Amino acid sequence: MLRYTVRRLLQAIPVLLGIVTITFLLTDAIPGDPVSIMLGPSPNAEQAAAIRAKYGLDRPLYVRYLNYVADVVQGDLGHSLYYGVPVTQKIAERMPVTLLLLVSSFTFAILTAVPLGVISAKRRNQPTDHVSRVVALIGVSTPSFWIGLLLIIVFSFHLNLLPATNLIMPWADPVNVDGAGSRLDVLVMAGEHLLMPTITLGTLQMAAITRIERSAMLEVLSEEYVKLARAYGVPEGTILRKHAFRNAQLPVITVVGLQLTAALGGAVLTETVFSINGMGRLIITAINNQDYELVMGTTLFFGLTFVIGVILTDLSYAYIDPRVTYGERE
Amino acid sequence: MATTSDTQSDEMLSSGREEGGVEEEEIESRVGISYTLWQIRRDPTALAGLAIISVMTAIAVFAYIDAVIFDRLSDYAFFANMGVEQYWFANNYWVNPEHDPASVRSLLPPAWMENTFGQGTWDHPLGTDHRGRDILVRLFYGTRIAIQVGFISTAIGMVGGTLVGAVSGYYGGWIDDALMRAVETLYAIPFLVLVIAFMTAFGRDLTYAMIGVGITTIPVFARLIRSRVVSVREEDYVEAARAAGVRDRNIILRHVIPNSFAPVLVQATLQIGVSILIVAGLSFLGFGVQPPKPSWGQMLSQSRGYMLPNPWFSVWPGVAILITVVGFNLLGDGLRDALDPRVNN
Repeated sequence: MLRYTVRRLLQAIPVLLGIVTITFLLTDAIPGDPVSIMLGPSPNAEQAAAIRAKYGLDRPLYVRYLNYVADVVQGDLGHSLYYGVPVTQKIAERMPVTLLLLVSSFTFAILTAVPLGVISAKRRNQPTDHVSRVVALIGVSTPSFWIGLLLIIVFSFHLNLLPATNLIMPWADPVNVDGAGSRLDVLVMAGEHLLMPTITLGTLQMAAITRIERSAMLEVLSEEYVKLARAYGVPEGTILRKHAFRNAQLPVITVVGLQLTAALGGAVLTETVFSINGMGRLIITAINNQDYELVMGTTLFFGLTFVIGVILTDLSYAYIDPRVTYGERE
Repeated sequence: MATTSDTQSDEMLSSGREEGGVEEEEIESRVGISYTLWQIRRDPTALAGLAIISVMTAIAVFAYIDAVIFDRLSDYAFFANMGVEQYWFANNYWVNPEHDPASVRSLLPPAWMENTFGQGTWDHPLGTDHRGRDILVRLFYGTRIAIQVGFISTAIGMVGGTLVGAVSGYYGGWIDDALMRAVETLYAIPFLVLVIAFMTAFGRDLTYAMIGVGITTIPVFARLIRSRVVSVREEDYVEAARAAGVRDRNIILRHVIPNSFAPVLVQATLQIGVSILIVAGLSFLGFGVQPPKPSWGQMLSQSRGYMLPNPWFSVWPGVAILITVVGFNLLGDGLRDALDPRVNN
């Protein structure tokens, strides 16, 4: 197990290096001159040269690339020209918001999708199944940001139930939150604020997981050993719980892991709809301000999150399915 | 990430692999795609999907004829206060661009409703936007962008992914390793972020949106084809072709790819829907189609400022996206079921 974990981590290195390379080349191709952004449209030649020298912009591409990789390895993602702070600081500031959003939306998705998929498979071709399939189909076909807009229209504007902007973090200090007297108030308010963004971001995941859960369960339920169990008169509920469910979860976990890349993209849209200052809005601001190192840093962060997510997925196979052997056969 | 990609592909390709004997595989590949297409004729969901796609494509073609061939791009985009009937091409083609600003009725609700801006009118069945433009007409013209983007970007991803996956799976060894690591890298960056970075570097217009989305689609097809090729490679007929001295390139193009194509077709159908969603998201963020050309994502973005006075403005473009993407998903699901005889829904 440990050997496998180490090997998976080593395999991730070329992927991470690839992400650094792609983002470096893309940001290098962005038209426009960072110097003119810092000094205005007609910079003084000496000042410009000084800045170029300071940030190494006068050196050839491969030298800058190697320097950047060397810095990244040491945990230095460079300096944000727009915000005037180190990129790592900006990321550390925004990251908790996005992670909270991702965790809550995946929790929502898994908690709703798994039962829905199982029930759908159990009552195949019955009304419950049809309803859940239609819900899943609409879920994978709907633009997430549109769900966000509709939720705002209904729950914020018409029913006046939920707030549409100004996300409050559950760990915020009650002193700094308007109208909150205690920790409990803050938690309740954070929950109210998180509800709509969670549904907005989680619907796609929910629908995708429901679909895969259903088909995986159906596949397992048609296996010989399930038929055998039925022939022995094992109650259907026991078959579902003991024989089918666990074995059906492998493809589901794969899909959960792969959904992460869609969810990270969806976070950009969700944060825009609800004006949440997370990583998603950070990268848009960075691109609009041609803040190169911030663009590279945030993209790298997104890639890293995905890679970690996939590794965790792979490792969780072991927990679900003890038959999985770790590459000894290869 | 080999484990992940293989499991995923297994899932997608639950047909094929376990089919068993060589004869069966041979028959399946002979009749392959045409047989699959023939099978969906009795599948109501697939037919419903096909119907939606046909209607949307017809609207897109109409909009293309009207906008590009008759060059009315500026008319429908700029001039407010025109009823639906005035947009149909050949009817009132020369619209007088001078209109009375006082008569522009912006943010009207759908015809059967009333809001602070007045009673809806059948001149504008779904209401008007913030500049008094007819929402239904702009939705029609948005279809053109959506359909175009869906097909072209998926085609780019399919061709690119098929080549990468076929080469990777056929040669194996270090070529396979290198290509698969590259594909994983592409997959690891969220599509939306990658396309945005790509468009910032090369240009914020539709062409680059399509190329960008196409590139992000490559990994999906590359993995699919590769897992298929790895098994086709071992087939007797490929062995025979190799023994007969057929060049690798021809083996890949004539034998390997055609025999791996059916699941690619299914994936492509589903992927068109995904691409439409991604481009809608891009337009919503201000990348992609630039105003005044109408696209659904951009209409949703513009509607954000008017959600309180006219919420319907935010509803319709989403409905259009939903219907279109449902169409592709229904057809894709139908094709997948037809390909996989074990799943009889």
